[in-house]
Amino acid sequence: MVELKNITKVFNRNRPDEFTALEDVSLLVEERKVTVFKGPSGSGKTTLLSIVGAMAKPTSGRVLVGAREITSLPERFLTEVRRRTFGFIFQQFHLIRGISALENVMLPAYTTGEKHAALRERALRLLELFGLSAKARARVEWLSGGEAQRVTIARALVNDPKVIIADEPTAHLDTKLSKDFLGIMERLNAEAKTILIASHDPLVYESTMVDHIIEMRDGRIRGSGPAE
Amino acid sequence: MSLHERHRNIIDFALSSLGRRWKKNLALTVVYAFVVFTLASVVFFTEAVKSEARAVLRGAPEIVVQRLMAGRHDLIPESHIDVLRKITGTRQVQGRLWGYYFEPSTGANYTVVASGEPPLEPGTIAIGQGVARTLNAGEGDLIPLKGSKGDYASFEVVRVFSHESELVSSDLIEMHADDLRAFFGVPEDYFTDITLKVRNEKELVVVADKIRRLLPDTRPILRDEILRTYDSLFDWRSGLLLVIFAGAVAAFVIFAWDKATSLSMEERREMGVLKAVGWETSEVIAMKSWEGIIISLAAFFGGTVLAYVHVFFSSAFIFEPVLKGWAVLYPRFQLVPQIDPYQVLALFFLTVVPYTVATVIPTWSAATVDPDSIMRL
Ligand SMILES: Nc1ncnc2c1ncn2[C@@H]1O[C@H](COP(=O)(O)OP(=O)(O)OP(=O)(O)O)[C@@H](O)[C@H]1O
Ligand SMILES: [Mg+2]
Repeated sequence: MVELKNITKVFNRNRPDEFTALEDVSLLVEERKVTVFKGPSGSGKTTLLSIVGAMAKPTSGRVLVGAREITSLPERFLTEVRRRTFGFIFQQFHLIRGISALENVMLPAYTTGEKHAALRERALRLLELFGLSAKARARVEWLSGGEAQRVTIARALVNDPKVIIADEPTAHLDTKLSKDFLGIMERLNAEAKTILIASHDPLVYESTMVDHIIEMRDGRIRGSGPAE
Repeated sequence: MSLHERHRNIIDFALSSLGRRWKKNLALTVVYAFVVFTLASVVFFTEAVKSEARAVLRGAPEIVVQRLMAGRHDLIPESHIDVLRKITGTRQVQGRLWGYYFEPSTGANYTVVASGEPPLEPGTIAIGQGVARTLNAGEGDLIPLKGSKGDYASFEVVRVFSHESELVSSDLIEMHADDLRAFFGVPEDYFTDITLKVRNEKELVVVADKIRRLLPDTRPILRDEILRTYDSLFDWRSGLLLVIFAGAVAAFVIFAWDKATSLSMEERREMGVLKAVGWETSEVIAMKSWEGIIISLAAFFGGTVLAYVHVFFSSAFIFEPVLKGWAVLYPRFQLVPQIDPYQVLALFFLTVVPYTVATVIPTWSAATVDPDSIMRL
């Protein structure tokens, strides 16, 4: 699905605060599998996810999505690939305040040129899927943490991506909500989505649904193997 | 994928985005519209008055000869007409009869003139809109006017001048020449002044010189001089208005610049979110530009329409104190609505374009953030 070849990411290159966040990382993300990246804070998990998800470009190395090399694509095409292939669930949710949950879900599809009515229909169905029909018209700042995260998941799914990327999805959730989240991911996985999660929450990486665990430390992959 | 649909969605979102910060945006639009309103009012007003004055004077004779007595305008004898006719290059030498009439009950000043061709019937008058308004009179009404001997004479209104150009005819009362002589007590062989035309416009100054020499008790007034005087008077007045409002404009520029160049943290975050969920840089900029354009257009149209109403339908009441001088000339000006597209265009470029540019520039830098930056917020 996604393949990284010898990825290095250096921040603030050629400056006194130069920092190598990823060093010579190679990895193959398998299709329809649930992969978890774990490791201590600062080990490079978020950085790695941003490169896998075509959000950021590596300093060196190559990224292949499907069979397509995307490292050298200009912004327009990169955005296009990202929009169609990846759905993101951010740790801080990053919903847009002041507009409804429904509008937030529709947002990523606004620029695809889809008819407004059709898009709306689809977004409503997604919200329904997550038991949020009653909240479709509510402003997002009035939602509870769990509801807000489900809106975020719906938003990640609106362009029907093949891959879902979640960065520390359970950091702001209690145990019950964390388990609910994992339940949703399991369901999506059963619907053929590839799932990538960065987390140092044992609840996540010890979950039975996880197929593959990649351990990171100091910007390198220290261990990689199937979950027990 | 449709480009049209994509832009509709982007504009939709820009609108809902404006709605979210409606208090701030409304305040901005109101201030903005006020600036457009004042600028447009000044421009509309001065241009309308100028072009009306020009229209009035265009029909005026090229030279008016007045007799001076002890430095004051006095009646001119009929014999002067013959002298003027003999000057080579003059034509259409005519005596004019006119005067001012003060109406004590309304406190208004009217201009009374002898009717031209075809003359009005004796005992009848035609009046301007202003006269009709202040005397509350219409066609068929009898109006008593107090003559120079203190006696009242009644005149029947046979016509009220149309709205066409109120500046010209608002305070006008037209009557038969004989009625006017009797009314003001002008002797049979005298006129108020004499008008004439010249065959060749280039000879205007030469003819005027000759008049001064042949008739030393008179003063020839050239139409061109009047035109120039009017123009400079109007320009000076509107210049004054512009200075007054330059302050308002300056305040607006600072305000707009401040608002436009400083995106709030929240706005920056939102632009980052849009980038992260799959918007292109150009789409984020387009969205923000639409916000600026919508505010700009709303303020521009609002301000322009208000100015139009203000100038042409409320007699520019806000300007009255500054324009008191004109009030003597035009007791109550109701300008003929007119718009010069070039001026509207100029206004547009002076307000909408700079504002829109000022909103797009800061957007540019904020929209080029890397999409992954949102993951670390
Ligand atoms: N834009 C940046 N400029 C400089 N350094 C950065 C930048 N982004 C990340 N880093 C550094 O790169 C390292 C890896 O960061 P990253 O966010 O990938 O870690 P992480 O594994 O996700 O940590 P956490 O578990 O705390 O989320 C950190 O030391 C961080 O300070
Ligand atoms: Mg992280």
